[in-house]
Amino acid sequence: MHSERSFFKNGVILLVCFWLGIFVFTPNILVLITSFLERDAASFVAPRFSLGAYKTLFDPVFVSIFLASFRISLMVTLICLVAGYPFAYGIARSPRKWRRLLLVLVIIPFWTSSLVRTYALMMLMRANGLINTWLQKLGLIETPFSMLYTEGAVLFGLVYNLLPFMILPLYAAIEKMDSRLLEAAEDLGANRFQRFTRVVLPLTLPGIIAGSILVFLPAMGLFYIPDILGGSRSMLVGNLIRDQFLTARNWPFGSAASVVLTLIMALMLLAYWRSMKRFNESIIR
Amino acid sequence: MKKSILTLVVGFSLLLAGLAQANERLFVYNWSEYMPEAVIALFEKETGIKVVYTTYDANEAMYARIRLLDGKGYDLIFPSTYYVDKMRKEGLLMPLNKELLPGLVHLDPSLLNKSYDPENRYSLPYLWGSTAIGVHAGLVDASKVTAFADLWKPEYKGRVMLTNDMREVFGLALHVLGYSGNSVKEAEIAAAYEKLRDLMPSLRLFAAENQKQVLLSGEAVIGAIWNGEAYMAAEENPDIRYVYPKEGAVFWVDSMAIPKGAANPEGAHRFINFILRPEIAKMITEEIGYATPNKAAKAFLSPEVASNPTVYPDAELVHNGEFQNDVGDAILIYQRYWERLKTGR
Amino acid sequence: MAKREKRLGRTLYMVLVYGFLYTPLVILIVYSFNAARYGSAWTGFTLDWYRSLASNQRLLEAAFHTLEVALISSCIATLIGTLAALAFYRYRFVGRKVLYTLVYIVMMSPDIVMGISLLILFILMGLPVGFLTLVIAHVTFCLPFVVVTVYARISGFDRNVIEAAKDLGADEFQTFRRVILPMIMPAVLSGWLLSFTLSVDDVIVSFFVTGPAYEILPLRIYSMVRLGVKPEVNALSTLMFAITLVSVLASQWLIKERKE
Repeated sequence: MHSERSFFKNGVILLVCFWLGIFVFTPNILVLITSFLERDAASFVAPRFSLGAYKTLFDPVFVSIFLASFRISLMVTLICLVAGYPFAYGIARSPRKWRRLLLVLVIIPFWTSSLVRTYALMMLMRANGLINTWLQKLGLIETPFSMLYTEGAVLFGLVYNLLPFMILPLYAAIEKMDSRLLEAAEDLGANRFQRFTRVVLPLTLPGIIAGSILVFLPAMGLFYIPDILGGSRSMLVGNLIRDQFLTARNWPFGSAASVVLTLIMALMLLAYWRSMKRFNESIIR
Repeated sequence: MKKSILTLVVGFSLLLAGLAQANERLFVYNWSEYMPEAVIALFEKETGIKVVYTTYDANEAMYARIRLLDGKGYDLIFPSTYYVDKMRKEGLLMPLNKELLPGLVHLDPSLLNKSYDPENRYSLPYLWGSTAIGVHAGLVDASKVTAFADLWKPEYKGRVMLTNDMREVFGLALHVLGYSGNSVKEAEIAAAYEKLRDLMPSLRLFAAENQKQVLLSGEAVIGAIWNGEAYMAAEENPDIRYVYPKEGAVFWVDSMAIPKGAANPEGAHRFINFILRPEIAKMITEEIGYATPNKAAKAFLSPEVASNPTVYPDAELVHNGEFQNDVGDAILIYQRYWERLKTGR
Repeated sequence: MAKREKRLGRTLYMVLVYGFLYTPLVILIVYSFNAARYGSAWTGFTLDWYRSLASNQRLLEAAFHTLEVALISSCIATLIGTLAALAFYRYRFVGRKVLYTLVYIVMMSPDIVMGISLLILFILMGLPVGFLTLVIAHVTFCLPFVVVTVYARISGFDRNVIEAAKDLGADEFQTFRRVILPMIMPAVLSGWLLSFTLSVDDVIVSFFVTGPAYEILPLRIYSMVRLGVKPEVNALSTLMFAITLVSVLASQWLIKERKE
């Protein structure tokens, strides 16, 4: 029996505990504590216990803000999944020597500021922007299309900015899949659809889950892209929390909103995981 | 042997360079693109002080940082009116030493001694401007536009824009109703909210930035806009007009102030005094586009700019309008209604 | 032949998606040469913006800072994240579930909350804000992306391979280095790429935890954009894109050379 007193193992555990303990656990405890304090005009928070922040959250305004964010994030995640999966598959099945390059090529555009790229998107979509100008020049339309400041524009911009976060984890999972399993399935008489749903999908499920999480969670918090492309007409969770912390300087409420947001997302993740596990098990059976 | 000598020489010269760097430094925290590079370079050359320039994009964010850092780390900041008000009340600002600021005399007295900073004990105006009505005369009849209330007219349905600033938006609604834009009364703010709610179906967007593009591209034809944006839009298309409303425009001033924990207040005073020089103020306003409070500098400006009411409204227009002040805890009331406005409730 | 059609279809789709990803970039490259200051009308070719960029020392310095922080943070985050994924997958230890949850909490925290809470933490710890706090913050928010990506890859692992290594006498470190790591390399690379991307673009967290002497590019661009994206920003973005593209292609070519 191998001795479990490995230096490496202990070192790794220590490192992880240290980093997460200090830089994740502590700040979040501070946030949690703040949510139970009272707002103070002079110094952000007064050291008095209060549930006021949480009570305020039950206002239907905040429920609708949360639902609006949730709806958009869900749609963005689904679009990214549907659009990103074939793409990640394509990269994973491409000749080995090209894979790393193709992957990096996906992500290089995202090393330029997302704001600058979003403005480039606006240049495309504006009433006097590139798309409209060219459509008019080609005589296809009379008056310009109104593309900006709509939910469609917001979805487009969010999908555009979050797509790599779906593609990269998907790629990592798909690439791992042994293509011989597919061939074996084909030999056993499975058609395209069956091969996909019973071999590919279950095997790449961890990648799907990872990609969905890496898109959905940031999408819930993003607000500057929806603001720019959507004209700031609706308030999302990110706007709310920013406003509460900075403009209203109501830290307890901002913290409470953040805590509740985190809890809800954690519960959703848990439900998602459990159902995925069950799906996975049922497929295997 | 040669290699090690080379290393020594390089190391030594780096050390010397490093020591030379131990020059006086001035930490400036400003809005981005709000000070010409040339001005900073001239100051550095004249005084030998190295200016370390970092930027922010919103007053409230700057305020949060200055608060948390307890006023330390920065020597000069540029808060807008109501933040000067708030920060001086909370003791976050260092009083100015007027003896070190002889350039004060150049400033327009009508912009001094305002209620947000009586006797300008803590701040001096840097640039100022207004939020009023922008209209695309090429797409709609601009002669009919004279008041904020016109934004509510049905003929502009779906083509109205507003700035994305809570205080400005409520400010204009409060003006329409005849109240002060600095109101702290819930009844008045609620009434402004109801009025704004009626505007929402007409609203195309809240434009936080790049407002000139919105008008130029025709996405919106009328709306609330900053005067600097209107001026720049008019340069590209003279059909874009800036109209001061009957109810009075919203005026704001960006001021220079010194945080209480500044490490180099003397350097900060020198920089402020440098900026107060007419020729420097002229450089600043010509490049940035917003109005300078420096009367002496204004005299040097080209007559088209100095007489352009978009940038330099006459005293009567300013008197008719209102400067933004701090509203204290009423900000929570505004915030709550702003959230309701944006969620359509 | 069905297989060729399938491959053609797949390639076409990939080209489409690449086109989608690169179109805004192409637009901004093209417009960095546009003589017009605002607006989308093309008024002539010019190198003016690049010239004014070259003399804009502060902007270049901010860009350099951003790259510096991004490189260092993504490397550290990839290191810690990979080891964390390994620990969660392989080791049983006290508080494992809690720490795993903490990783996800980072992803679920809004940027503002993270920025302010980290700033307060640094103040309480007595750490002066600047380069160090910036790197710490960046590593922290990049970590979950590495952990999730690597864990997804590692969790489909054939445990027998690891057991075999153990039976052959390998200790933990050797097992990791010679068995696990090579097999999770694509995920580690993906994690690094994601981290770099996040770091290079972060505005809100960086705004709060940076120091008065350390300006980074996203902050600068964010504040600049208030007045309309200036062509210098387009020029800078084009340059940064060109540099990263060239270095990536160069490293790819170098790796090929080495292999041969």
